[in-house]
Amino acid sequence: MTEALVVMVHGSPRPVANKEMLRVVEELRSRPEATARFPIIEVGYMECNEPDIPTAIDQSILKGAKMVTAVPYFLHTGTHVCDDLPGLLEMARVRHPSVIFKMGDYLGLSPRLTDILEQRAQQKG
Amino acid sequence: MNALILFSHGSLLCGSGEAVEAHAARLRDRREFDFVGVGFLNYSQPSFAETVHEAVALGATRILILPYFLIPGFFVSKSLPEVLTPIQAQFPNVDFQVAEALGFDTRLADALWESALSARTADNDQWSEPLKRATLSCRPSPDCPLYQTPLCPKVPGEKKLHD
Repeated sequence: MTEALVVMVHGSPRPVANKEMLRVVEELRSRPEATARFPIIEVGYMECNEPDIPTAIDQSILKGAKMVTAVPYFLHTGTHVCDDLPGLLEMARVRHPSVIFKMGDYLGLSPRLTDILEQRAQQKG
Repeated sequence: MNALILFSHGSLLCGSGEAVEAHAARLRDRREFDFVGVGFLNYSQPSFAETVHEAVALGATRILILPYFLIPGFFVSKSLPEVLTPIQAQFPNVDFQVAEALGFDTRLADALWESALSARTADNDQWSEPLKRATLSCRPSPDCPLYQTPLCPKVPGEKKLHD
């Protein structure tokens, strides 16, 4: 079964603001174990940038995904994560009833970020 | 005394600080700083200024501000200096430093990968648990634009957020 990972991103009126996130996604795409599991990795934006999240989901299904795992690239459970993203996933389930959809924890929950924060603090001495 | 303050955006859902509070708790456990606090720019409590006051009251002479932001965008490059400048004037003997935002790091790819992997095998609704917690710890605040509106998680009855 072909699987897709859709990274759900806020988006920005300044596209340069997405640069670091896109590097992170490229880093993931460069890892053989990640592409073996998710041959399709798409980015979808809530606001401002394209493709939007429904388009990114639809594209991954056009490319053959039978299962789509979405991960919110967000640091908080604010209104976007709590209210908007689950709704987008529900609508995708209605559009594609034969596809399996899963949603991961938002990025901010990961203890990996604690390690990065600690390093940012140490870099400042 | 060395203090570390995580500078975070804050949210209309005042319970949304769960993740940043968890990072602060882990950093506190690592004991590299005498004080680790969280200060919010908008909506959520405590405000950034309140947390600085708390750190200074406890004896902080050096405060490292750590932006809990993905990128050094508007809030880090414009909003933070706006709130920090008057505070610095108030505490001229405290050394304030600002660290870098999260930016790029391969460990963000690790976090993305781990979240996706565990979601594949999780029950369908497992991901929604932390989302529900965010509204549970909301408080009825007159400062919140959602206060006393049907969207406020603290208003009983029909609402959009997690009935």
